[in-house]
Amino acid sequence: MNQTKVSCKDVMSHICDNLGEDMDSPRCKAIKEHLDNCDGCQNYFSSVNGTIGLYKEYNAKLSKEGHSKLFDCLGLSEFDVDSIDSKEKDS
Amino acid sequence: MNENELIEKAQNGDRKSLAELVKMYEQTVYNFAFKICRDKERAENTMQETFLRMVKNLKQFSGKSKLSTWLYTVVSNNCLMLARSNKRREYTSIDDDDNLIKETKLVEWKYTPANVTENNELKEVLDDAIKNLPPDYRVVFLLRDVEGLSTEETGKITDLSIAAVKSRLHRARAFLRNEISGKLSYESN
Repeated sequence: MNQTKVSCKDVMSHICDNLGEDMDSPRCKAIKEHLDNCDGCQNYFSSVNGTIGLYKEYNAKLSKEGHSKLFDCLGLSEFDVDSIDSKEKDS
Repeated sequence: MNENELIEKAQNGDRKSLAELVKMYEQTVYNFAFKICRDKERAENTMQETFLRMVKNLKQFSGKSKLSTWLYTVVSNNCLMLARSNKRREYTSIDDDDNLIKETKLVEWKYTPANVTENNELKEVLDDAIKNLPPDYRVVFLLRDVEGLSTEETGKITDLSIAAVKSRLHRARAFLRNEISGKLSYESN
């Protein structure tokens, strides 16, 4: 499979942001030079980006029951249009 | 009607506007609570407590910060409190950079983010990894990287300095990456 592709600029801004450094600072320039020639670092940051991507895509959807329970508990059931509609369809 | 108008109306007792606000944020709050707790029942309870608190304190809400920031703060505090009360759970220290960041050779992963929705094995790997991450770090990772909040907003919600947010984020990313990497890689021959 293809891992999430990361550009050098993504990696740089990621690292320099964490360091609190400007992209044009001498330290960032030195990091860029290192990264251009280091497969290990490129792989590392690519897999960190992949990790973030996986967690971003893993979402939980609130069930209809959970939604109704919330509106009941807040005393707002009379304004829960979806629930009222489905009750009317059932009856 | 925009959010500020809804808040103002709800503050003046308009329950229909209050219901609209709840509808606007219920999915976000539930999803975020689930991501921290990794448990549907706990996430529902946290969501209910969060909105009950919102209803109770809405009149004091000044609008200086976004409502979403306030909701994220309540969910984070609630989940951290629950985690701290569970003293039986012990976490591995992630303070040592040398152990966290290891030079690695290129390893292909079995899954991409597109596989997450319907793959239970992958979900289990992700759940297990994040459950091993200390909750204080988990919240920072989720707010900054997953929910996409800024470093400043994350610091405000977690009551941490910018430097502390960056440091925790860096360690959380490295820890999770290490945890899942071994489980998602193809076995080498």
